[in-house]
Amino acid sequence: MSEHIVSSYEGQLKTLHSTVLKMGALCESQFSNSIIALLKKDEELIDKIIGKDERIDELEKKIDDQVVNLITLRQPMAIDLRETVSAMRIAAELERIGDLAKNIVKRVKYIKVDLNNPDFSLIKTASELVQNNLKKTLDSYSKKDEQLALSVWNSDKEIDVIINKLLEDFLNNMKKEKKNIESLTHLLFVAKNIERIGDHSTNICEYVYFLIKGEEIKGNRPKG
Amino acid sequence: MKNQKIKISTKNLNVFYGAKQALFDVNLELEEKKVTALIGPSGCGKSTYIRCLNRMNDVIDICKVEGSIKIDGQEINKKDVDVNLLREKVGMVFQKPNPFPKSIYDNIAYGPRIHGLADNKNDLDQIVESSLKKAALWDEVKDRLNQPGTGLSGGQQQRLCIARTISINPEVILMDEPCSALDPIATAKIEELIDDLKKTYTIVIVTHSMSQAARVSQNTGFFHLGKILEFNLTEKIFKNPDNKLTQDYITGRFG
Repeated sequence: MSEHIVSSYEGQLKTLHSTVLKMGALCESQFSNSIIALLKKDEELIDKIIGKDERIDELEKKIDDQVVNLITLRQPMAIDLRETVSAMRIAAELERIGDLAKNIVKRVKYIKVDLNNPDFSLIKTASELVQNNLKKTLDSYSKKDEQLALSVWNSDKEIDVIINKLLEDFLNNMKKEKKNIESLTHLLFVAKNIERIGDHSTNICEYVYFLIKGEEIKGNRPKG
Repeated sequence: MKNQKIKISTKNLNVFYGAKQALFDVNLELEEKKVTALIGPSGCGKSTYIRCLNRMNDVIDICKVEGSIKIDGQEINKKDVDVNLLREKVGMVFQKPNPFPKSIYDNIAYGPRIHGLADNKNDLDQIVESSLKKAALWDEVKDRLNQPGTGLSGGQQQRLCIARTISINPEVILMDEPCSALDPIATAKIEELIDDLKKTYTIVIVTHSMSQAARVSQNTGFFHLGKILEFNLTEKIFKNPDNKLTQDYITGRFG
């Protein structure tokens, strides 16, 4: 793509893109840290994650301002319009991811079970898959790679399968060990949050695809 | 774009100014009662193109127009066509408002008079009033019809020129950058007028304002170096054009 004749316009679009990437990187680390905090029950890390959520909200606000400015002052067309509109939509998805990560760590103190128990091992598997997908999603945005976005979009069904299996494992454990019910109820929400983060990730993939191709992904998303 | 009646079609249209070729094999089909916008960088041939549609290029000695131009299926690019009748059917509005140095009334009445469209003063009054009404100017000038047209503001003068064009009942209105000399309010009034006029007339507008093309037209053609590179629904052109040069042009990357 060649550059704009007006370099300040080019600059504003680049700034917008990099602000979204910055917000994406922060959400990615919030999520992976939330899983570390969960597994290690690290209270210092939990406080840090909760504290940083405000920064995510600030970045979303900043992106909204940049988008409104671009629309007002530049009247972007075609690829530029898609870049502008997608940034706002992606930022909204990222903000949700940030909230879900914060919600995960807020539940840690109620989770008293040993997470090394094989009955709960799928929580780690699911979170690794989702972290990997989120990383690829942000890469697809950064590199404008619609094929990568499409492959993440198609792979989300694996996560759904794992979450369903995990639910089964949790229920079986609860039947065996009634004392685990409270912990596992919270852990179920954690699992649901992980799954939701995966869903937001695939939403972002849809915006990335639209941004690059100018059309929606065809067909319905494969579900597990 | 299917199932819509084609008002104007050009096939293999080539235009030369002396040795220099200005248009290359332009094939376009313009729909009836729609607004078609023609965009493209200066010198790309869009004005040359619309000037072919009412044979305005005839007045330029060195200009040669080859190919087929049909209006309602009738060939107009041949010697025995009466250009006066053609221009009665295909009116034109220019970049800079150019009212006659006459009264507002006579600016409108001139065309109907020479084309014999009015039998008496009463008829003529009717035509003047309805033309000014269609051009959304009547309320602003009805009490000063005898004052000179050149005394109006730029936006009013442009609507006067549109009223003058309408007065002889054309079927097609060509507009060559009709708002480039106007302020945003006058521009909005002309755009509102275009929306209204398209119910009755086929409109072709050349504009340098991308946002104006997007606002007023249903179809858009992108000209570049005398060729039509892309012709499509306006929405498609401005949301997701097929041609890279179109995209570069409308987003300000041309250079």
